[in-house]
Amino acid sequence: MKDEEKPEGVNRREFLSTATAGVAAAALTKPAVAQEGGATNGQEDAVSPLTAAQEAMESDTPDGYGADEAMEYFVRHPGSDFMVDVIKDIGFDFMTTNPGSSFRGLHESVVNYGKNTAPELLTCTHEEQAVAMAHGYSKATAGQPLAVLVHSTVGLQHASMAIYNAWCDRSPMLILGGNHLEATERRTGVEWSHSAQDAARVVRDYTKWDDAPLSLQGFSESMARAYKISTTPPMGPVVVIIDGHLQEGEVGDQAPTIPGVAPTQPPHGDLSALDEAARWLVEAESPAIAVDLMAHNQDGIDALIELAEELQAPVYNQFGRVNFPNTHYLSQGANVIAQADVVLGLELYDTWGILNTVRDRVHRDSLRTARPDVRVIDIGVKDLFTKSNYQSFQRYNAADLSIAGDGQTSLPALTEAVRRHMTRARRASNAQREERWRAAHALARTASVDAARYGWDSSPVSTARLYMELWDLVKDRDWALVSDDNSQSRWARRLWSVDQHYQYIGRSGGAGLGYGAPSALGAALAHRDAGRLAINIQRDGDMMYVPGTFWTAAYHKIPMLTVMHNNRGYHQEFMHLQRMAARRQRGIDGSSHVGNELNNPAPDFAQITAGMGVWSEGPITDPKDLKAALVRAIDVVDQGEPALVDVVCQPR
Amino acid sequence: MNYLRLLAWIVLGLVSTTVAGQDIGDTANEGRELYNVNQCWQCHGYEGQGGAAVRIAPTIYPFIAFATLVRHTNLMPAYSPDVLSDEDLQKIFEFVRAVPEPPAIEDIPELSGIQ
Repeated sequence: MKDEEKPEGVNRREFLSTATAGVAAAALTKPAVAQEGGATNGQEDAVSPLTAAQEAMESDTPDGYGADEAMEYFVRHPGSDFMVDVIKDIGFDFMTTNPGSSFRGLHESVVNYGKNTAPELLTCTHEEQAVAMAHGYSKATAGQPLAVLVHSTVGLQHASMAIYNAWCDRSPMLILGGNHLEATERRTGVEWSHSAQDAARVVRDYTKWDDAPLSLQGFSESMARAYKISTTPPMGPVVVIIDGHLQEGEVGDQAPTIPGVAPTQPPHGDLSALDEAARWLVEAESPAIAVDLMAHNQDGIDALIELAEELQAPVYNQFGRVNFPNTHYLSQGANVIAQADVVLGLELYDTWGILNTVRDRVHRDSLRTARPDVRVIDIGVKDLFTKSNYQSFQRYNAADLSIAGDGQTSLPALTEAVRRHMTRARRASNAQREERWRAAHALARTASVDAARYGWDSSPVSTARLYMELWDLVKDRDWALVSDDNSQSRWARRLWSVDQHYQYIGRSGGAGLGYGAPSALGAALAHRDAGRLAINIQRDGDMMYVPGTFWTAAYHKIPMLTVMHNNRGYHQEFMHLQRMAARRQRGIDGSSHVGNELNNPAPDFAQITAGMGVWSEGPITDPKDLKAALVRAIDVVDQGEPALVDVVCQPR
Repeated sequence: MNYLRLLAWIVLGLVSTTVAGQDIGDTANEGRELYNVNQCWQCHGYEGQGGAAVRIAPTIYPFIAFATLVRHTNLMPAYSPDVLSDEDLQKIFEFVRAVPEPPAIEDIPELSGIQ
């Protein structure tokens, strides 16, 4: 836990002692009133002595205000100041937000009491953007969460899709939602529309935990618990509802304290089970490793390299995270699973899906793609925590050995067990395996290089050309791809050298569009301090959801190179509609653009982002113009500003 | 249609010399138009270079194999003659055959240095 700088002149103990030293309590003491009958009786009633609170207020009030009046107008020690103390104590670098009145108290405290520092408020134009920025930031920082500040009704509703993505992708973040629970204190109109009895309910199906504390002490303990739960594997978003009354009222004599937070150490798998798994892997004739959400940081990559090399087992990396370097000869494709007699799954999102497929036909049948006799070892935390309504947990797979434990944390013990079981004969045969996989890796690489030249001079620009022109400019510097290349034929994963945990951000989790731009920006924010070039290959359809992300980039001066993959439509759905038309034997020659295209008129993305203060160029349609534009854009980013190049591209 | 039969058709097609009687240039251009109108580019790219689906240009397959994959397939949607006539399919085939070879890797600096 980080030590945060407290507001100047105030530390936690000083704040609490001040708060309990007779400052005005929440309930007002009413002034003396006239006797029954209305008129006074001509005698002065005895004046009640001032309370300690009134005395204190009287001594601190601005000129021209009586104590009673001042208590109606001014708050000396608002509850939200204490909330900022808690937030700083836990340690958040940034807090993303789209402003709202339900959390105006905390908002002001962050800015003025907390000096807008750790956390620094990041102004977003949509709550979906605010959450997705936190999502991207956590992935670029090996799991460091951000705080997100939203309305609890309309804000959480806006944010919900992005929260779902984060849930699916096991991304930690702490979401604070403003609310007004006490009905009699709501102003008429909007404060009713922006209040709820059970404010977190709208996102409860895809958050790990939520709470609505009713006291500042309750808030303090909720925040500590929320942080722990969010950052414990399987990580995920959590929600704490912050009542308006709690924010805006005086701390009074509540005397809240801030508990410590000891991060929960993730569990490793049962040692005897890991030992059994190791025996199977050593005895296997053709073992294979499949990995998805395993590596929390670079240590996870190093640990997997150690295991894979010990076994000379190929690794099929599904790239939920960078789990394994694509430059390593054991980095192989999905085909290794089909021939394996033992498969080790590490934090797989979808174990069933790597062993089977469902054909997209009129009658959807399942096909086994793995060997019928394959033995599957499934190590991960998914069985430790899940929810049932949203089906992101994927299809049930009957593993032969199912081990509950964090994948990365379990690797050292598994590798140690492999070494114990390793025989001289197996080690000798591993030399042949190494030779085989080196050849296969080289062949796959060569094939990808060859594939990249097709359509090289095309207009629209081929995605291969887009990626390889860019690679030529960045390969010798510290870079990070803060977007997912699935929609561009995976060129980065095929031909760039991805061997650092931070170099590839992975997918959204829930495949909800509108994730791309803001998550990229959140990751770019993390890379800013490392002096790293953050590269976002931006899909046009995704950008149309939260284009305001680019205003945030300009406003907060977050350097990020954005290169549009502009294929003028929601291309996935183009293909789906084409499939439906062909299946129904109609409309293949003219219907698939309806409801799908972003054309006629084609959005001018360079104009859009230029209008938000981002250096922009394009649209580029001739591949010969691409490199020079990229050079100009990178120069802008190197000076600390965001830049965008719009490139009209081939579909994939 | 199983793949053993498909393989047989490919072998037969490789020894076949059936070619459309029209000028290849005109037919290929008509084929490009049909390729675009029938949205083949969505999965295979505007130049048949691939993307969501495999590269199909320049094709090495004879027409019979090409047609079999379009009409009977496990992976892509099946296009019956009712929506894509044999004549149009032939023209599309002439287009994917006519797409020229791209530059050699040695002539592309951004690729020639990749290990």
